[in-house]
Amino acid sequence: MAQLIWNGLFVGSFYALVALGYSMVYGIIKLLNFAHGDLYMLGAFSGFAMLGALGGFVPSTSLLSLFVVLVMTMLATGLGGVALERVAYRPLRGAPRLSLLITAVGASFALEYGVRIVAGPNPRVYPVRLDGTAVEVLGAKITVQQLVLMVIAAGLMVALNALVTRSRQGRAMRAIALDPKACLLMGVNVDAVISRTFFIGSALAGAAGVMSGAYYGKIDFLMGFIIGLKAFTAAVIGGIGNMKGTMLGGLVLGLLESFGTDWLGGQWRDVFAFGFLILFLTVRPTGLLGERVTERV
Amino acid sequence: MKRPAIPALPATARTTSRVVALTSLLAVAALSTTGCNGLVGGSAEGDDKGPIVLGMAIPMSGSSADTGPYMKNGAQLAVDEINAKGGILGRKLRLQVEDDACDPKTAVAAANKLVAAHAAVSVGGYCSGATLPTLPIFDKRKIPMVIPAANSNQLVSQHLKHVFLINGTGSQQAAAAVAWLSKDGAKKVAVMNDNTSYSKDIADLTWAKLGTTGAPAKAVEEAVNPGESDYSPNVTSVLKSSPDYIYWTGYYQEGGLLIRQFRQAGYKGKFLVGDGSVDPKLVKIAGAEHGEGVLATMTQTPQTTPGAGSWIASYRGEFGAEPGPYSTQSYDAVRVAAEAITKAGSTDGDKVTASLEAMDGFKTFSGPLKFTADHTLSNGGFVILGVEDGQFVLRDSLK
Repeated sequence: MAQLIWNGLFVGSFYALVALGYSMVYGIIKLLNFAHGDLYMLGAFSGFAMLGALGGFVPSTSLLSLFVVLVMTMLATGLGGVALERVAYRPLRGAPRLSLLITAVGASFALEYGVRIVAGPNPRVYPVRLDGTAVEVLGAKITVQQLVLMVIAAGLMVALNALVTRSRQGRAMRAIALDPKACLLMGVNVDAVISRTFFIGSALAGAAGVMSGAYYGKIDFLMGFIIGLKAFTAAVIGGIGNMKGTMLGGLVLGLLESFGTDWLGGQWRDVFAFGFLILFLTVRPTGLLGERVTERV
Repeated sequence: MKRPAIPALPATARTTSRVVALTSLLAVAALSTTGCNGLVGGSAEGDDKGPIVLGMAIPMSGSSADTGPYMKNGAQLAVDEINAKGGILGRKLRLQVEDDACDPKTAVAAANKLVAAHAAVSVGGYCSGATLPTLPIFDKRKIPMVIPAANSNQLVSQHLKHVFLINGTGSQQAAAAVAWLSKDGAKKVAVMNDNTSYSKDIADLTWAKLGTTGAPAKAVEEAVNPGESDYSPNVTSVLKSSPDYIYWTGYYQEGGLLIRQFRQAGYKGKFLVGDGSVDPKLVKIAGAEHGEGVLATMTQTPQTTPGAGSWIASYRGEFGAEPGPYSTQSYDAVRVAAEAITKAGSTDGDKVTASLEAMDGFKTFSGPLKFTADHTLSNGGFVILGVEDGQFVLRDSLK
């Protein structure tokens, strides 16, 4: 039981970290960025490349270098997200929402197979591995590495929350989410704020990518697909567009999967997760913490 | 070929022209499906001077494009060796490779090309799904197939007369797994698969054999969804049944992650993996300390076959690279085909098939060859490999 909860929370914190980018972009420009999971993949691969390059300078790649790589990767994938927005989404800003959605799917394929061309189709193995002996806490086996990763994830989420609720940038983001046209008229640089949102969301996904690469070890060019869908599910469960809801949604999804697998067997894991997506969409489409939006005419 | 009757229609000018068009279309279709005898190719059947064509439809592009060149090289090596000794029946051999891209539609086109080129024997077949639709194409032309790699039970379950497998089947792999588990003293075995037809086939067959007399007890059968990173829910639920042996029948990507996550969760028992997991990457993903000692059921590879040293050397000399998976099987397929044609004294399909069926004790990498009534190997040729210093080496030949 304790083990199931711990498994769920650990996976859930990854889901939450990736889901935040989804949720932010949706909150601001009402776009479901299906290429978001591939930014996670891009993060894992750029982290891999940087560790490889770093290994050339520093003889022993250590935890410290992993941390440096994490920060550098966040920068890289953040810029990748900005470029993606500039190339694929901004030209379609005024277009119907369906065109944007299709573009997002196209961008997702472009990223996946672009990485495949560069890095090859075979899975890669991270040179630095977080591997530790498990400590038993209340019947659950927990490793220090898991704890560290969860603390990093939680730290990033708290920082993001502070950014959105306390800073000027955050206020601009929230304002654009409410009414982009009015913001434009009030002199807010809407394009810059949207770019910044993409930067932050993609940087978080990239961080999750590096963490997953270092923890699980294996990365491949299609790794972003399933986690992208899971992050979307987490965002919907928690309330897409709502930051705290999204974090909660990630944890809830992780727990649901953990218990669902235990109850029905491993092959039912995705059925269970996406079944909940459907359930939420029919019963409570705004998610756990989402508010009902009244359409003004 | 019988021409289908054309329904009598009022003979207006338009319908007449339609009928003419339809008839000529049918005629062209009939001509092309009979292989355009005498129209294409210089090596028509009955020409005793031209080379004997061996057709090989294998993936040279697509998802399994890595394996195709290994198979092609292995087959080419055998062809070159036989030609250097003067060929068979006084004729040279010629290998014709067509790309099946591991895709059923492309494979059918490739098979038709080989038929048109008057292949005497087909020595190709890697992806079972792509090989299946080519069976009737070759069988109809009475072209014997010596399939080197594809090994789904479906390939032989149709009982086509001209189809032979020289790679062990899923049921033989399951039998080898259970034989090893019993031999190694396993008490309670968990079987895990990744829900693909290849993996689930082996897992289900193994699961059915467990718990019978002489075999270890059943722990749990569990499936994972490939493509994820975190398998901790699966690990937790498998460990609840406290197995002392885990048999994983999927591929190495998930296999490596599972081994690692099982060890981190405190599992102390042994691992056995199927042939899809035999790749040094498995150990890399699992981490060297976790991968050490993992066992595998595997058909013979050049690296694990005792006495293949000189063969590997000549492969290296010819192609400047290490032989890969299924190069020995492809090499054997060509030799088996050549032997059958020699014994039959002709390239006639029925005669070659008869001599394949009569074959007994022909030396191949997977042991002396004899086909069962199903046209599969009487001895599956599965061996047990074990990881030592990050590499899979032979542990037990199960003989």
